[in-house]
Amino acid sequence: MASEERAIAGGDWHPAGSSRSVAARLVDRSGRLAAVPEAGGTPLAEAPADRAEISARVGSIPRRITFSDGSVFETWDNDGIDRYLAANGRGGAGLVHWLEQFRLRLVVVVLAAFVLGGAIYRFGVPLLVEVAVRVTPPVVPELMAKGTMEALDATTFSPTRLPEAKRREIADGFARIAALSPRGEAGYTLNFRDGGAIGPNAFALPDGTLVVTDQLVTLAGDDTEMIVGVLAHEIGHVELEHSLRQLYRAAGMAGLIMLIAGDVGSGVEDVLVQGGGLVALSYSRAAEAAADRRSVELMAKAGFDPAAIARFFTLLEEKLGDRSGTSMLSTHPGTPERRKEILDYARILSGQSAPDRQ
Amino acid sequence: MSLAGTSQPSGSVPGQAGGFHRVAFTGKASEYFGIWIVNVLLTIITLGIYSAWAKVRRNRYFFGNTVLLGRAFEYHARGLQILIGRLIVLGGLIVLNVIAALVPILVLLPTIVILVALPWLVAKGLRFSARVTSYRNVRFDFVGTAGGAFKAFILGGLLAVITLGILSPLASRWVGRYIGSNLRYGGKAFDTDPRLGPLYKSWLLSLLIALVGLAIIAFLVVANLPTILAAIETPGAVTPEQQVPLITSLVAGYVVLFVTFAVAGLFYRAGVRNITWSATTFDGQHRLMSDLSRRRYTWIAVTNVIVTLITFGLMRPWAAVRMARYTWEHTGVTFAGDVGELFARIEAQGSAIGAEFMDLEGFDFGF
Repeated sequence: MASEERAIAGGDWHPAGSSRSVAARLVDRSGRLAAVPEAGGTPLAEAPADRAEISARVGSIPRRITFSDGSVFETWDNDGIDRYLAANGRGGAGLVHWLEQFRLRLVVVVLAAFVLGGAIYRFGVPLLVEVAVRVTPPVVPELMAKGTMEALDATTFSPTRLPEAKRREIADGFARIAALSPRGEAGYTLNFRDGGAIGPNAFALPDGTLVVTDQLVTLAGDDTEMIVGVLAHEIGHVELEHSLRQLYRAAGMAGLIMLIAGDVGSGVEDVLVQGGGLVALSYSRAAEAAADRRSVELMAKAGFDPAAIARFFTLLEEKLGDRSGTSMLSTHPGTPERRKEILDYARILSGQSAPDRQ
Repeated sequence: MSLAGTSQPSGSVPGQAGGFHRVAFTGKASEYFGIWIVNVLLTIITLGIYSAWAKVRRNRYFFGNTVLLGRAFEYHARGLQILIGRLIVLGGLIVLNVIAALVPILVLLPTIVILVALPWLVAKGLRFSARVTSYRNVRFDFVGTAGGAFKAFILGGLLAVITLGILSPLASRWVGRYIGSNLRYGGKAFDTDPRLGPLYKSWLLSLLIALVGLAIIAFLVVANLPTILAAIETPGAVTPEQQVPLITSLVAGYVVLFVTFAVAGLFYRAGVRNITWSATTFDGQHRLMSDLSRRRYTWIAVTNVIVTLITFGLMRPWAAVRMARYTWEHTGVTFAGDVGELFARIEAQGSAIGAEFMDLEGFDFGF
């Protein structure tokens, strides 16, 4: 018998579910694995090699060999186990462990992780956001908008107190630019509300519901064209689907951070969450600038003053004293900067459209 | 390996005298680096699915290198099991958030459901963590209820927040008791009752650190007071040139707040660990012990974050191994009586074996 035995590794053997241990050797007895006491004697456990479960190698932590009777042989001799596995055509320590070893080839793994990680952040997340925006059925933004409107009407807004004529004047101007949007006039509904605590404001909900507050109209005075310019900016938000995009991007970033959370530690995770917030703000500023440009384009097409919305920013600067610069902590670009960008873009646009008319 | 079982007469564990034994940590940064970066790469390639298996390899590495009396702890969870648990929790969260996004009146629904389900998930998660952990072939178990988790985590956390941290030591005591007294090993109980006196003593130091941070912020506010007052009285009077120091101060204040509260929290965490572990007994006679230096622990944690960030994460494995080594090497057990005899008697109790398949991983709680 002894001549057929090949020693694999030394370690400890435990009966099933017991912390009692026996110093033992793992041996290969012509295709059967057995744990034999170090002191000699009858095998403690024995099983056909394919019925004994050998735990996968991780670093140099102890390996477990679980026999079919539930008893366990534990050893620190990883190399002995790997030699046995390799000799029996069971792949040695396995592919994952082969990759993990601290050898020169690990540099390739590091580079691949950085390149792919960067690609996911740079292209993967934006792509997923685009796909998510495309496959979102129109009923989702409709329900979102309906709910938001109901909630605001119940808590903050009250019915408009603007004269009928003023409202018609704004609605007519709005219809002219809305008709030029790919969604068409039917794609938008304009609502007038007394803004209450919200004050002078205009905003768009993702389904094309637009709201302009009485306070904003009053602030504008007789300049209806300026209000239309602001509404064109809101149309820009709807066309470019900024709300959905921001929602999905936030979810994507949270998902990315969550995935690597266990591997970076809670301190670094906190820093990443803060950084993610700053990145989200930069997207928000970019969205505002894109909507500003859309306003200029729509207004120019409809035959209005393309830079009408710039007058709104002048008004903000004068009446509300808003001269704030852009900082990495703001959701909108600084007001003076926005006004300048709009005027520049309006100039470029008229310069380019001039040759077309000839 | 030097730690391999030595030749002993069969039928008994190596006879080892009782008394004090420290835990050792044998993990190496270079070894964990490979495991870590392969985990990261495979997680990216599989768009996150591998993260469950990555967690298993990570935990197996850390548990398997935590050594008491020459024998390592073991982590037994399976990747698939963790993946299923995560998908269930994630699916629930998505459904709740979609409902909340569509019906803004129900915006608080996810928060309410999570608050109600959280104690249950915490209890389940702790039980899962305990049941997939073994030492010397015997699994741990956890018998805490959802009600206990509610008191320790939700009620305790709420009290700590409402009282601006004044009742934090009480919350820490509840958490320590909930985890430490519901843990079982081989059917025998752990028991802990950290006393409020030492907890408050530890808390006081963190309070002082937090006050220093608040003093710096108060100084920044006073320094910028003329500009701030001018901005409030006559909006628009602040020129862009004046805004520069204001924004610089704002960012500095934010960083100071973040750093001092993190440091205060780390000091407190180390203190609570020492007090709770040192107040814990196993089977009523074997005493656990933790003797972290709060300053050293905080230094390691803070420098770990800094080094990890400036190396774009590449030194994270080193940082993780460094922290594990420090905490485990400052942990020990005083055994009453002969260790060999003790471990010859311990048998797994039926309920803990294999029952983790019925559990969800839920939330991640390590021991």
